[in-house]
Amino acid sequence: MVLVSAVRDYINRMLQDISGMKVLILDSQTVSIVSVAYSQSELLQKEVFLVELVDSISKSKESMSHLKAIFFLRPTSENIHHLRRQLASPRFGEYHLFFSNMLKDTQIHILADSDEHEVVQQVQEFYADFVASDPFHFSLNVPSNHLYMLPAVVDPSNLQNFCDRVVDGIAAIFLALKRRPFIRYQRTSDIAKRIAQETTKLMYQQESGLFDFRRTDISPLLLIIDRRDDPVTPLLNQWTYQAMVHELIGIQDNKVDLRSIGKIPKDQQEVVLSSEQDAFFKANMYENFGDIGLNIKRLVDEFQQIAKSNQKIQTIEDMAKFVDNYPEYKKMHGNVSKHVTLVTEMSKIVEEHKLMLVSQTEQDLACNGGQVAAFEAVTNLLNNESISDIDCLRLVMLYALRYEKESPVQLMQLFNKLASRSPKYKPGLVQFLLKQAGVDKRTGDLYGNRDLLNIARNMARGLKGVENVYTQHQPLLFQTMESITKGRLRDVDYPYIGNHFQQGRLQEVVIFIVGGTTYEESRSVALQNASNSGIRFILGGSVVLNSKRFLKDLEEAQRIARSSPAVV
Amino acid sequence: MASRNRTIIFRRYRDALKSVRAPASSSPASSLTTSAGGPVIELVSTSLINPNRSYAPLSTEDPGNSSKGALTVGLPPAWVDVSEEIAANVQLARTRMAELAKAHAKALMPSFGDGKEDQRLIESLSQEITGLIKRSEKKLQRLSAAGPSEDSNVRKNVQRSLATDLQNLSMELRKKQSTYLKRLRQQKEGQDGVDLEMNLNGNRSTMEDDDLDNMVFNEHQMAKLKKSEALTAEREREIQQVVDSVNELAQIMKDLSVLVIDQGTIVDRIDYNIQNVATTVEEGLKQLQKAERTQKHGGMVRCATVLIIMCFIMLVLLILKEIFL
Repeated sequence: MVLVSAVRDYINRMLQDISGMKVLILDSQTVSIVSVAYSQSELLQKEVFLVELVDSISKSKESMSHLKAIFFLRPTSENIHHLRRQLASPRFGEYHLFFSNMLKDTQIHILADSDEHEVVQQVQEFYADFVASDPFHFSLNVPSNHLYMLPAVVDPSNLQNFCDRVVDGIAAIFLALKRRPFIRYQRTSDIAKRIAQETTKLMYQQESGLFDFRRTDISPLLLIIDRRDDPVTPLLNQWTYQAMVHELIGIQDNKVDLRSIGKIPKDQQEVVLSSEQDAFFKANMYENFGDIGLNIKRLVDEFQQIAKSNQKIQTIEDMAKFVDNYPEYKKMHGNVSKHVTLVTEMSKIVEEHKLMLVSQTEQDLACNGGQVAAFEAVTNLLNNESISDIDCLRLVMLYALRYEKESPVQLMQLFNKLASRSPKYKPGLVQFLLKQAGVDKRTGDLYGNRDLLNIARNMARGLKGVENVYTQHQPLLFQTMESITKGRLRDVDYPYIGNHFQQGRLQEVVIFIVGGTTYEESRSVALQNASNSGIRFILGGSVVLNSKRFLKDLEEAQRIARSSPAVV
Repeated sequence: MASRNRTIIFRRYRDALKSVRAPASSSPASSLTTSAGGPVIELVSTSLINPNRSYAPLSTEDPGNSSKGALTVGLPPAWVDVSEEIAANVQLARTRMAELAKAHAKALMPSFGDGKEDQRLIESLSQEITGLIKRSEKKLQRLSAAGPSEDSNVRKNVQRSLATDLQNLSMELRKKQSTYLKRLRQQKEGQDGVDLEMNLNGNRSTMEDDDLDNMVFNEHQMAKLKKSEALTAEREREIQQVVDSVNELAQIMKDLSVLVIDQGTIVDRIDYNIQNVATTVEEGLKQLQKAERTQKHGGMVRCATVLIIMCFIMLVLLILKEIFL
């Protein structure tokens, strides 16, 4: 709630003091930021009658001086350039400029210079620079996410842009929460260290005035970790509602685009999955597929009851009641069709790609031991023609991540079989993954086989048996959160930056995963928060990953690494 | 949540740069604010000269802020008039609705008087509100515009927002009326029950009396019957009127529901609406280009050119014939 309400508060403040008809102008990033938190009907209530993108606004020369323009942009040089052109020949009556992050002095100078007609009424910084997709989960939608996998020498300027965007996003989170954190990072990751250092510099030196909040509050913890410490979670198939939709179809800014999936009726081609607006989704987003099916059936039965009673219209009273309840009925109808369509399409995909079979092996690879059995299972699936190429690739990757050192011969056999099966996958992608995220590079105990305590825990779990084979995997993040709650996060693995240390009991933790989060991890965080352990966790990442996206990042990074002479 | 106001620094830079840009021209800030009143008055007088141009009042509260320097405040387009009328109607309907609620409460209270005034007041108020809503709805249809342009998007959004207001109003009105109806029916049954009871008792008691008394009682009874009949007839009429207005409003709601955005659906998303604007504008452009192309290569143009060439050839042949013959 806290992230979405922060963005909503900022937008309300932007709109409240300006009367009359308004036009809201956004850029491609702030569109996502605003769309997940504010709806079109709410904008209309505030008399905002037009919403435009800043690049398309200069195309028309129509003067609309009866409208007041509110700009909400990221302070990039491109946007400043667009604004210069706008201010030179203004189309609207008044200009109110809001930026989602800190402006440099030179940028203010440029704007002041171009405002010859003096139409600008205010210039403010409102720090809503993140996409708050869920109550405790945010993303930054960074465009070239794959850069985090490459060393700095390959593409220094783009990597600098990446880091700047991440630092800006993290700074905005803490400004919105009005806190200044102490920062810890994952020792083995260079990019995490770099981001941690730059964030510290920003918060404690460059803009220390801006971040100087009440010191009586306990500082929260900002933990910056690397995606490559847990490469297993994005590769797995998911079986809880929100994660599954993202894995099989894809969620972008809480919207699902069904047009590429199959023949869908026109009004269901794009749907919204937001826990704020959809009570059924909120109750079911973390439930597994079987339970969802039952709940949807219940929902459909309820709806059919109401539909039947609506058909028996005999008296004028019934008619009046029907017309009264019609908006609610229509809304319920839309909601039910949306969920039914989603679950139907996902079932089709599961059937087609035999995902239940694949996922069983995946979960075994991720959670249980037994190298021989695993090898056999993977080989069988590789020989199975109905398994798709991408699923085979994932299986081999999961096997390689776990049994990297155990039996190289068998590993090579799997590589060869994969290469012969799907020539599309350039050889070496799995090796690239191992180079990036192999057992030498990882800090955390991904498989629970590093120290005795974890091994014992695993054995106990194996003996007890699991409730559901398909959802037995716990992301590494879960263990990290547990260690933080118990105060046992090792300094050796996650050192502090600077000399700002923890004082007193922690109440709030923000975990940022460079390279992207997954919905499985956001589910873990939500369940942890619901368990009232006294600490509130917020999770964020540069993007929200699913297996396709993660593999794409790997391929991009591999391509660049190959073509660059700087990489060994 | 934290925020930072950079307006002061901005203004400082702007003033400094302005003085650098035009050091000769002396235009202190104070004169700008006083002259701001000027342009507005100018525009008013020009509209009186041109009766064809519709004068639309600015919707901003303080015109002084929005007209500084060379930029003249533009008149909003004519449709803003219509939208303002509708908004005024909505406001008026809301005040009337509050009055109607009071009148309903008063009429439902048991009173000794006839209550005819109350009924009339309720009738007139309900009719007024229904009329306002109907007229606003008709005007709303006028706001739609054709063609993809920014102005048409603004109009569409204004339409949607007003449609939502109207729909809420009509739903509120119907809820109030139906609760009033229900209570009225309860009261009517109560009254009838009492009357019937009295009549029955009257009948039984007259059986035991002698005929003269019967006749007297019958007359008395008849008078009471007639009175209660008249009362029920009137109540029926009222109920019928209320039901009529309920149906009218239902029709209006059906028309409005096409315009109103369903909350929580994809249509309610800002990014979806921006995308749509972009695609419709692109589509429009494509259609225009296609039309241009077909026109250029169109049959008409080709025919015309062929005919002209033929005329030219004939003319040349004619001249040649004259020369050689």
